[in-house]
Amino acid sequence: MNVYRRILSKLRHLLAPRGSEQDFDDEVDTHVAMLAGRFHAQGMTDEEAWRAARRQFGNTTSLKEARNEMQTFVWLATLWQDLRYGVRVLGKNKGFAAVAVLTLALGIGANTAIFSVVNAAILRPLPYPDPARLAILWGNVKRLRVERRGASYPDYRDWRDQSRSFEAMAAFDGAELALTGIPEPERIPCDYVSQPYFSLLGIHAALGRTFSPEEDRVPQRDAVVVLSDGAWKRRFGGDPGIIGRTIQLDWRTYTVIGVGPPGFHGLTDKAEAWIPFSMEGSATDLNDRGVVWFTVLARLKTGVSLTRAQAELDAISKNLAQAYPKTNEARGVEISPLNREMFGDLEAPLLVLLAAVAFVLLIASTNVANLMLARSEGRRHEMAMRAALGASGGRLVRQLVAESAVLGASGCLAGLVLAHYGIRALMAAGPLRFPNSVHPTIDAAVGLFTVLVCCVVSLALGLAPAAQLSTASFDEALKQSAVRSTGGRRGSRFRDALVVAEISLSLPLLIGAGLMIRTLQHLAALNPGYDPSHVVNFRVGLPRLKPSGAVNTNAARDAKPDAKVVVAANDILRTVSRLPSVESASIATDPPLSDSSAVYYTAEGQPPMNAQARPRAYFHRVSVDFFRTLHTRLLAGRLFTEDEVHRDANVAIVTQNMVMRFWPGEDPIGKRIKVGGLDSTRPWLTIAGVVSELKYRGLPENPTADPDLFQVFNERSRDFSVLVRTSLDPAAMLSTVRATLTETEPSILIYDAGTLEDSIGRETARSRFTGWLMAIFAGIALVLAMIGIYGVMAYSVSRRTREIGLRMALGAGRRDVLRMVARRGVSLVTLGMLLGTAAALALTRMMATLIYGVSSTDPLTFAGAVGLLAAVAAVACLLPAFRATRIDPVVALRDE
Amino acid sequence: MSKEAGSSQKKTDVLQGTLDLMVLQTLAALGAMHGYGIARRIEQVSGSVLQLNEGTVYTALLRLQQQGSIASEWGVSDNNRRAKFYSITRSGRKQLARETKDWLRISEAIGRLLQLAAGR
Repeated sequence: MNVYRRILSKLRHLLAPRGSEQDFDDEVDTHVAMLAGRFHAQGMTDEEAWRAARRQFGNTTSLKEARNEMQTFVWLATLWQDLRYGVRVLGKNKGFAAVAVLTLALGIGANTAIFSVVNAAILRPLPYPDPARLAILWGNVKRLRVERRGASYPDYRDWRDQSRSFEAMAAFDGAELALTGIPEPERIPCDYVSQPYFSLLGIHAALGRTFSPEEDRVPQRDAVVVLSDGAWKRRFGGDPGIIGRTIQLDWRTYTVIGVGPPGFHGLTDKAEAWIPFSMEGSATDLNDRGVVWFTVLARLKTGVSLTRAQAELDAISKNLAQAYPKTNEARGVEISPLNREMFGDLEAPLLVLLAAVAFVLLIASTNVANLMLARSEGRRHEMAMRAALGASGGRLVRQLVAESAVLGASGCLAGLVLAHYGIRALMAAGPLRFPNSVHPTIDAAVGLFTVLVCCVVSLALGLAPAAQLSTASFDEALKQSAVRSTGGRRGSRFRDALVVAEISLSLPLLIGAGLMIRTLQHLAALNPGYDPSHVVNFRVGLPRLKPSGAVNTNAARDAKPDAKVVVAANDILRTVSRLPSVESASIATDPPLSDSSAVYYTAEGQPPMNAQARPRAYFHRVSVDFFRTLHTRLLAGRLFTEDEVHRDANVAIVTQNMVMRFWPGEDPIGKRIKVGGLDSTRPWLTIAGVVSELKYRGLPENPTADPDLFQVFNERSRDFSVLVRTSLDPAAMLSTVRATLTETEPSILIYDAGTLEDSIGRETARSRFTGWLMAIFAGIALVLAMIGIYGVMAYSVSRRTREIGLRMALGAGRRDVLRMVARRGVSLVTLGMLLGTAAALALTRMMATLIYGVSSTDPLTFAGAVGLLAAVAAVACLLPAFRATRIDPVVALRDE
Repeated sequence: MSKEAGSSQKKTDVLQGTLDLMVLQTLAALGAMHGYGIARRIEQVSGSVLQLNEGTVYTALLRLQQQGSIASEWGVSDNNRRAKFYSITRSGRKQLARETKDWLRISEAIGRLLQLAAGR
């Protein structure tokens, strides 16, 4: 009731301030009149009575002022006044304002840009209902360390049927299929997904429906497909009658049953079509526990924790290992939250960068605080005058804060503009690839963040000089001229703190950038075991010559030999090799840094191994010239020969790691290995050559230390990669290849084209992204710190002109003066360095997953950063010190 | 000069709190009154001990009104003048009780202290 009445009275006052003021005047007048009447009645004359009444009532003006101050909404008016005054003051100091606003804009802009990416990638929930309950299940195997492998279909069924922790599970696997039977055939990404996949993600078909349980049975009866909105519009003109029509994928006919919602590309983030999971493999594959390849999406039941689900899956895995020791020994399941799967990689670089930009903003604010402090020293006279004229302390502080708020708001606006363009540049030029659902923009959350940052900065900036103001003695300031007054002890201590802060904030940034630069150097100097420069690679899909009904969709893996296709593969290689400016060309089942698959193998004469130590190798088939095309070093033996291009050539080339494991110090040439276990019916392969270790599966290191095993490309495949070493520009090369090949066979598919250098670039994108941004931020920090330190030192020298002049007049030499000025700088810088090193030691630990080839406490990097910063600080300190030595004692003292 | 200003500031501070208390007590004891009446009552009760600028009564009234301790209403005074009548609110009564207790405790303590000093 009370509150209500009070608010009402204030509102009334706001709406009708005139009337309310009039009322108050009336009230006062009535009171005075009544007093006068009383005095008159006591026998005074009219005039005397009025005078006495006014005396007894006191000062009406100050009463009205007090009343005005008290009215809540009046502070809005004074705030407006203060802000306008702030704008005017800053307008008069255009240079100061420009430098301050620009510095703040840089800091705030960088923070907003990075935060918008963090917001989009980490803070914003995934675009699925209740995403916290979604998780990915990884089948894994415990070897030297736990390795993620994927699941086998029977395992998946057992997890699904035996567990109680999950609402539903869906297997999914990304693949690429050729969209054929229409003009301009192309390869499109297609995901094989179990029936509950769509409902798990809360996705409904925009047109038609998604899969029914019957359509996901093994063996598969009906070939059905759900198209993505994009593929439907692009390839079928958005035809609303698409449902029920048939399309061809890999020369097999599928019935379209639905179209997905716009923008949805599944968890692989690129799917253009979805096919029931049961179509991915033959019934044999889908019933074999030894064939593992896919991941599983699962939704936890409400209230079930990850730990509980994990414990349940552990128990199921244990049972499976007992029941099927041959395939399931040492196998387990790892449950991992979906958002970690999607953004886990981005977390480390983004958080490191967010910390870095926060430091940049702190340094920027320190600089501006320093500027404001220097200016407020210069304005002591003005402030003292205002105080003497009746401004209260609170009002003066408010004015200073208003000024810094004007600065902060301008910096904020300029920062937002910078951030807007910065985000675009970051997404366009940054090497890091973000999922499709990530669109960093300046949305409400980012805006709120920026405004909060601005408020904190403005308040801090305004309070710094205000704190100094409160200790200042105004009559001192009034007596002295503004120029002469020296900053108090407290002011100089404050400036000392600023220098220490600048140094200790810059150092961790420099060290972080140094570590990243060293990482980039290591990555650039890294020898992957092949020479990626000037190598173009692309995949070729050959049409099936006789489309048939009973098709094995796994054709790429185990197609029956087809005489016509063999010719085609050889023809393609020959055609490409004959093109001008092709130095060398070869074929491989999988080029470096694409998906490779592994096999277990047995080395002759070695004792049988348990599941943890069972030897495993990544298997590739390559044409004769492969190692020559890639400039891979042959360590022992020989390369493949043309005579060996037939199916019974049981020779292999292996990488160094296999030799190190089984025949260290021996001659490996002529040793025999076999794919599978000892009892396998596969033929023994004789090792003909050993090549150096290849970074075939990942950079800077292969995910596992397993060796690579090469056999001659025996031309059964209709789908393979061609690698071309050429002196020509990659794009030109590719268009020539495309033109030439489609001329010989129009239905040929050429896809996944690129250069090996690009593939390597993708592998190192995280480090390069972080590295370049860190370097930019550290550069900004260094420049800001230099300006800041120079500012403080130059200011303190200018304040001590008289003292220095006096010392010199009394006989101090230039060197003494230099030492005196520099000593203060050196001790401050040293303190800053110590604090900065401590901060860096704590912070660089965050970077452990981003750096390569250096430790996060690399002494060389630390020393380098300290040295660089020391040099910059020395310049910033010595320039003013030298100027101090040039002070003419006569001029300095005459000024007195 | 600035020091003088500072000390006079302190004196008013003490007075203000006391004045608020007196205004509240007056309103609690006598019901709704206008500013002039309050000033008269304080003058009458305190005799010549408290000499105050009657304008400060209005400062106290404004402050108390803002705190919600009193409410105001326009009315007509005994001699037919338009005047604003102030009355104590429920939260004002609570404040009065609380502050009266505090005041008595403090003045009792100070009184004892001064008596001790005088007795020595």
